[in-house]
Amino acid sequence: MTEPLPPRPEPRRQWSRRLRDRLATLLITAGGLGVVAAVLAIGVFLALEVAPLFLAAEASLGWGELWREYWQPGTLPGETPAYGMLPLAWGTLKAAFWALLFAIPLALGAAIHSALYMPPRLRSRLKPTLEMMEAMPGVVVGFVAGLVLAPWVERHLAGALALALVLPAGMLLAGMAWTRLPPGLRRRLLPGWAGLWLMPWLALLATLSLWLSPVLEGLLFNGDLRHWLAARFGLDYASRNALIVGLAMGFAVIPGIYALAEDALTGVPASLGEGAQALGATRWQSLWKVVLPAAAPGVFSAVMIGAGRAVGETMIVLMASGNTALMTLSPLEGMRSMAATIAIELPEAVPGGVHYRLLFLAALALFAFTFLVNTLAELVRARLRRRYRRLEAAT
Amino acid sequence: MSVFPSPRPAAGGPIIDFDPAACCLEIEGLSLAYGETPALRDLSLRVPRHRVTAFIGPSGCGKSTLLRALNRLHDLNDEVRLAGSIRLEGQDIHAPEVEVAELRRRVGMVFQAPNPFPMSIYDNVAFGLRLQGGMRKRQMDDIVEWALQSAALWDEVKERLGSSAWTLSGGQQQRLVIARTLAVRPEVLLLDEPASALDPISTLKIEELIRNLKSQLTLVLVTHNMQQAARVSDYTAFLQEGELVEYGATDTLFTNPRLSRTENYITGRMA
Amino acid sequence: MSRFGRARLPRGEGPWPWLAAGSVALSLLMFSGLLLLLAVRGLGHFWPAPLSLVALEDGRLLAGQVVREERLPGGAGRERLYLTANRDLDGAIWSWVAVDEIAEESHPRDLVVLERTRWGSFHGRLLALEDAAGRVEGEAAWQALQERLGELEALRRERAHLRDRVVVPLVRRLERGADAALAAELGAANARIRQLQARMGGTRLLLESVDGRRLEQPLEQVLRAWRPNAMSAPRKLAAWGHGVWRFLSEGPRAANTAGGVWPAIFGTVLMVLLMSVVVTPFGVLAGIYLNEVAHQGRFTRLVRIAVRNLAGVPSIVYGVFGLGVFVYGIGGTLDEWFFADQLPSPTFGTGGLLWASLTLALLTLPVVIVATEEGLARVPDHQREGALALGATRVEMLTRVVLPMTAPAMLTGVILAVARAAGEVAPLMLVGVAKLAPQVPVDGEFPFLHLEQKFMHLGYHIYDVAFHGGDVEAALPLVYATALLLVLVILVLNLTAIFLRHHLRARHGTVPRR
Repeated sequence: MTEPLPPRPEPRRQWSRRLRDRLATLLITAGGLGVVAAVLAIGVFLALEVAPLFLAAEASLGWGELWREYWQPGTLPGETPAYGMLPLAWGTLKAAFWALLFAIPLALGAAIHSALYMPPRLRSRLKPTLEMMEAMPGVVVGFVAGLVLAPWVERHLAGALALALVLPAGMLLAGMAWTRLPPGLRRRLLPGWAGLWLMPWLALLATLSLWLSPVLEGLLFNGDLRHWLAARFGLDYASRNALIVGLAMGFAVIPGIYALAEDALTGVPASLGEGAQALGATRWQSLWKVVLPAAAPGVFSAVMIGAGRAVGETMIVLMASGNTALMTLSPLEGMRSMAATIAIELPEAVPGGVHYRLLFLAALALFAFTFLVNTLAELVRARLRRRYRRLEAAT
Repeated sequence: MSVFPSPRPAAGGPIIDFDPAACCLEIEGLSLAYGETPALRDLSLRVPRHRVTAFIGPSGCGKSTLLRALNRLHDLNDEVRLAGSIRLEGQDIHAPEVEVAELRRRVGMVFQAPNPFPMSIYDNVAFGLRLQGGMRKRQMDDIVEWALQSAALWDEVKERLGSSAWTLSGGQQQRLVIARTLAVRPEVLLLDEPASALDPISTLKIEELIRNLKSQLTLVLVTHNMQQAARVSDYTAFLQEGELVEYGATDTLFTNPRLSRTENYITGRMA
Repeated sequence: MSRFGRARLPRGEGPWPWLAAGSVALSLLMFSGLLLLLAVRGLGHFWPAPLSLVALEDGRLLAGQVVREERLPGGAGRERLYLTANRDLDGAIWSWVAVDEIAEESHPRDLVVLERTRWGSFHGRLLALEDAAGRVEGEAAWQALQERLGELEALRRERAHLRDRVVVPLVRRLERGADAALAAELGAANARIRQLQARMGGTRLLLESVDGRRLEQPLEQVLRAWRPNAMSAPRKLAAWGHGVWRFLSEGPRAANTAGGVWPAIFGTVLMVLLMSVVVTPFGVLAGIYLNEVAHQGRFTRLVRIAVRNLAGVPSIVYGVFGLGVFVYGIGGTLDEWFFADQLPSPTFGTGGLLWASLTLALLTLPVVIVATEEGLARVPDHQREGALALGATRVEMLTRVVLPMTAPAMLTGVILAVARAAGEVAPLMLVGVAKLAPQVPVDGEFPFLHLEQKFMHLGYHIYDVAFHGGDVEAALPLVYATALLLVLVILVLNLTAIFLRHHLRARHGTVPRR
């Protein structure tokens, strides 16, 4: 040990450090709590705005009136406004249904392929790519759906519907053909990379199918599928309809479901699947019998969150659904969702009036639904994580 | 200046007692629990000034827990419940008027895995000094040099004080951590298995450092390596399941332990 | 599961995995198809398209750009859509022509396209240029035209500058109180404007459409002229570049069927900037509170779940909240207290820049909070303990050790928040945008930043033009271009955030705390 020791620190500064620590902690606490409160206040505020509808004596409305099938709040003088919210609820659910119908198979299929068959390097590239897909603004998807896709599908209805058959058939065809390929070629076209090399194949099939479909339409439907549908089934075709909305909103919702489902599948301890395979099951069988059931809650919560997204999406429905307040089952007709209604009508509604408060009610319904669905999904996932940890520890 | 402590066996028991005037830290009736799980049970011992005291025992016996109680690191954990008292130079460290930050300056700590900050070597050592504030650059430079010399690291890093601390080897990083702790002039230095993550050569360097630092500080060392405890410490406390089993001069404890429990532990490990 | 993914599929796997693989392929195909569509249609719009001279079987002539071709229903052949412009001559700018009826199609090099301030574009031939000095014909007329257009552009710029930067502020100041000096300045400026007008006027173009109709066109209404069939590839590339630049720097014209989106870009950027200024401190503060200061019990866990759930609440709900609380609530109160003399015309009691920024800040708050928390969790405990063991107070430990290590994560959060806000339109429909706000909310007049003004937004612009425009077909190319711009901005932001996050994980490589 060498030189004499340096002097000690000074106590006066300690007081200011202490003060700064207390103040900063206070600031952080205040800010944190304030933010949390603000964020939670949304639901409270909505409820407060809606309450006078049913509680206050003046602008009160019976529940029965809301349950009617006619939504026409802004009317010409002399007519009574109709506040039936059923068409809006129906429209919201119909849009979400078709979106999920389209999105769930694709998202789950992608998650299965990604979790089980893809090499990790490719998977780590796929995830951010699909994240970017999720980042596509709804207004752009809605614009393409409403202004480009809808007219095109209307003109090429037969071809578009044919794709729904041709594409899956093409995937299976590719599978069959692959098993018959010589081993040299099979090593080049690895199944783990099938997600990529199927792309040109499917694009080719789609082009061929669209090219040939007028011929088939001529043979099967007397050259005009729409006319045939109208004559045979009485189905009217609206240019902007549930199919279009389903496609567009499904596109927007796929990445969300994919991410969570893939997390759920990769979270299943490998030992479970390997155990099944050791007993002779193929990878797919072990998936169906062992892995999927184990991951089922996670997959289910992924779907729930996707449903929440689909219910709340505004711009796509606004631009691609035609905004007609119909209540039909046909996928070829338009609809009107709650979110779109709010977006269009709220700026014009008189603050404090019945129309205004009803739109707030719609917002509250959306808020409650998505909040509940998300909370449920989160709880399910938390329980699943605990279960996995126990499984992992046991094996 | 320090009185050579005269060990007085307490009523023939296995735990020696020191004259409080010669002691830096006094632990009395300390019990600690993580939630419902007890970790320390009614522990009492005194740590003599300017000596190296080692805590040994099987893993899970509470030696690290005891060490961390000495600089109130358990404050970070909401679930910890504490009873009993700990005194530093006669002052209760849990008294409400005690400023925890100042306590931790006086009772420094070196951790098992070296944890230098992602800053330059100089900034790591000067970290504590900057907290105290009001120091001119020349003064700070002197202290940094002194601290690095005390930690036997100066010669190796004097040319590259500005480079990142993470470029140093494990042994050097640990000495850097010791240097930055020394820079704030603590009275006690707690070392939690400081060499367990290091290679044998670095370990020996750290041990030599510990011996050299004795003259300025009180050192408390937790180790699972009994040869290390034997080499380096003056007094050793053997803990088991949260209790203090035996506490005595290192030579005596290792060559002639009073309790069979102690002997079993020591011989089991040394074999 | 990661050890599970081997690249080989044994023979007996069956058909189903191929559907799974196909799902990935199809999703990627849709995504890339969308991007390709936007890129081709959006960027392609600025490339000077060739002008076709179409002679029909029945002798009619028309000059137009091919837009698309479709088959007629019932298999009766195909028809083509031509953009024939000349709204003042024809009354319409579109022509559908059955392909069978086309006798001959050529691309004469002397065909001219003029972009005008009234009546849209002109397709035809330039016969002569007339002014006070005389009349020039033929090729010389073309050269003279280009020169004059250059001069005209400079004059126009000066006039616009005078109008926007000098006259309008002067008028506003004079409204508040007469002042002889200001009035004189105004008079001088107006005189200069009249002078410029006079210089710009007086020149006429003699034009002829391909079917022989003549037109006298005042030159001051002409913005640009080019001969698409006579342009070489480098010239076309230059024109393309200029077109893109004008799109980014000019305001919209002709009911959003021409011009650019500069006010929308400015409005979007400004709003996003304000939003970041609000969301960053509050989001970071809340993240620090939840992770470092709050007692980690059940309450904190619930709050954390609630915050994450709020990220999934539909954006329109935030818009409703913003409308009720900010616009009508706080805005209405502000109007009563400070702007009562302007009522019933609302100042803050209506949608505007401030409320839009605040609403979007609320919307993106969960994103920043979650990113901050994740960053904080990634800082290992031993770093915190190391700082505390040196005598640091908790706040010193945070500010000197933990927060610097978290900075990249916080930045990622802000970038993601910005990317999200740039694309959200639904809440803005309720709290802030205008269809046409050529004045940006920042100008030379105090307080320089006008928070109560409405502003234009790229996303809303897309919606508005696509759905409330008159001639959607004409506006479509610009909508594509705007959509492409928006998508590019958002993609770049997201890529940056992903890259940052990846770089973070590689650098720290530590196990998260929770």
